[in-house]
Amino acid sequence: MSAPGLDLSRRAAIAGVGVSHFGRNLPDSQLRLAAIAFKQALDDAGLSRDDVDGLAINLGWPLGVDYDRAADAFGLNVRYVNQTWTHGRFVTMCIQQAAIAVAAGLADVVACIAVASFTRERDILGGPGDFEGLREEGGTHGEYPPYGMTSPAAGAAMAYQRYMSLYDADTRGLGEVAVTMRNHARKNPNAVMQKPMTLADHQNARPIVTPLGLFDCCIVSDGAVVVLITSAERARDLRKPPVYVSGMQGIRAGRDEFIFAPPGLGINQQQPGAVAPRPSDLDAYRMAGIERRDINGLYTYDAFTPLVLFVLERFGFCAPGDAHQWVRGGRIGLGGELPVNTSGGLLSEAHVSGWNSIAEITRQLRGEAGERQIAKASHLQWGTCWGDSVVFSAH
Amino acid sequence: MGHVLGRFSRVLCALKLLMDKHTKPLPRVTPDNQPFWDACRRHELLVQHCAACDATFLPPAPLCPHCLELDPGWRVASGRGQVTTFVEIHQNWFPAFADDLPYNVAQIQLDEGPRLTANLVDVQAADIEVGMPVEVVFDDVEPDFTLPRFRPVRT
Repeated sequence: MSAPGLDLSRRAAIAGVGVSHFGRNLPDSQLRLAAIAFKQALDDAGLSRDDVDGLAINLGWPLGVDYDRAADAFGLNVRYVNQTWTHGRFVTMCIQQAAIAVAAGLADVVACIAVASFTRERDILGGPGDFEGLREEGGTHGEYPPYGMTSPAAGAAMAYQRYMSLYDADTRGLGEVAVTMRNHARKNPNAVMQKPMTLADHQNARPIVTPLGLFDCCIVSDGAVVVLITSAERARDLRKPPVYVSGMQGIRAGRDEFIFAPPGLGINQQQPGAVAPRPSDLDAYRMAGIERRDINGLYTYDAFTPLVLFVLERFGFCAPGDAHQWVRGGRIGLGGELPVNTSGGLLSEAHVSGWNSIAEITRQLRGEAGERQIAKASHLQWGTCWGDSVVFSAH
Repeated sequence: MGHVLGRFSRVLCALKLLMDKHTKPLPRVTPDNQPFWDACRRHELLVQHCAACDATFLPPAPLCPHCLELDPGWRVASGRGQVTTFVEIHQNWFPAFADDLPYNVAQIQLDEGPRLTANLVDVQAADIEVGMPVEVVFDDVEPDFTLPRFRPVRT
């Protein structure tokens, strides 16, 4: 079993968050949205621009803003940078690297900047501008443009089609996810989607890539989130209570992994045969010194509704093949057993690549979530169906 | 030198085709997958087969993922397999495919074990099922390029 050589639990914390307005076809440039979120994050933490000496960029140009442009525009003197692919899968990696950097003294304050203008860059998602689809032997979400398989949504649809066949599932569990996210968004004034949605609306929506319909796919929106990460010691002296990074585990990769399916589903070259989580799949809980049952809420990359079912199985909240039933009856809603994406997620709040949920985790653990507040929230998990995770704790 | 330039121009050509939204893109041909695509032009479907450890695999790679043998070699596949999953695309993401909507894309597990992504032909969407037996057909989409697709095995 993996034993961390260095105890990084609660060595770093979120000290500030900033969130721009979210919307579709916003007139703002990506840099302007990032600037709004950056200034708000500084104010939230009680820090100045001169305190920021590290940058973690999840989404670079052209969807977002590259590190050098951000440093230049925000007048920073930066001594630490991490910039990942322009993909939502690297939320965890950005946070992890920032936490490691401040714990190791490579930076004092790292600004994690996530900004995306999906409405200005429409061709990037499954269109002619989606160069990654042409990667030799297939794109990163199963894309294969010569066959017209050009969109990430199609990868999620492939996975769910096989799931339905293996487990005799239907799409009502997906509907529960979509409706729950919409209900959460309707308690969040900054969420893009405010119109009520019923299970019937979900079931009757126009098909996008079957078995997925319109409400199984996240919204295409514009917005920015900035998260400031510093050492736990420094965070304790700042304006707001620290939100500790208490547990972490990295992204999984290999022939048994497909980004939009749990291991064992049998997509691409995955060996078929679903397995319950092994101890090595749950390192983040162990590092945080908690059990899975201590998690008060789960936050995940819900670009497509099946991903929510898959993450529940991946971390063992329910057994393989059970999630489509397990989510029904309000279990993942506010007041339920395991609230998921309480600000509305990518499906109904905004697609800031999941960073909108990191902002919500911060609000929840500080007790600032208002109508959406999870009672006695102590430990909240960011975890994805590709197996990475960060556990955040209030103490 | 001419060979290298030829390959390079193929990559540029593929990228150019992707940028042209009215032209369906072709796969990028690389040193690793060139034998696969050359064989498709001959209407043969290849899988990689490692002489050192007897593993059969795709996608093409310069080494065996099981034993790390370099240049593991190729074997002609039966061309038969079964559908492991499929989708039907309704959204017009890519203008070159607009006239085909809705169309299917499937994953096929070859009898030899590895899986491929391709379209199914000669079948109605409502009749596609996971587990359906299929066989390869070769579509000469360009004078110098052939894509494998699959059709139901006629019983």
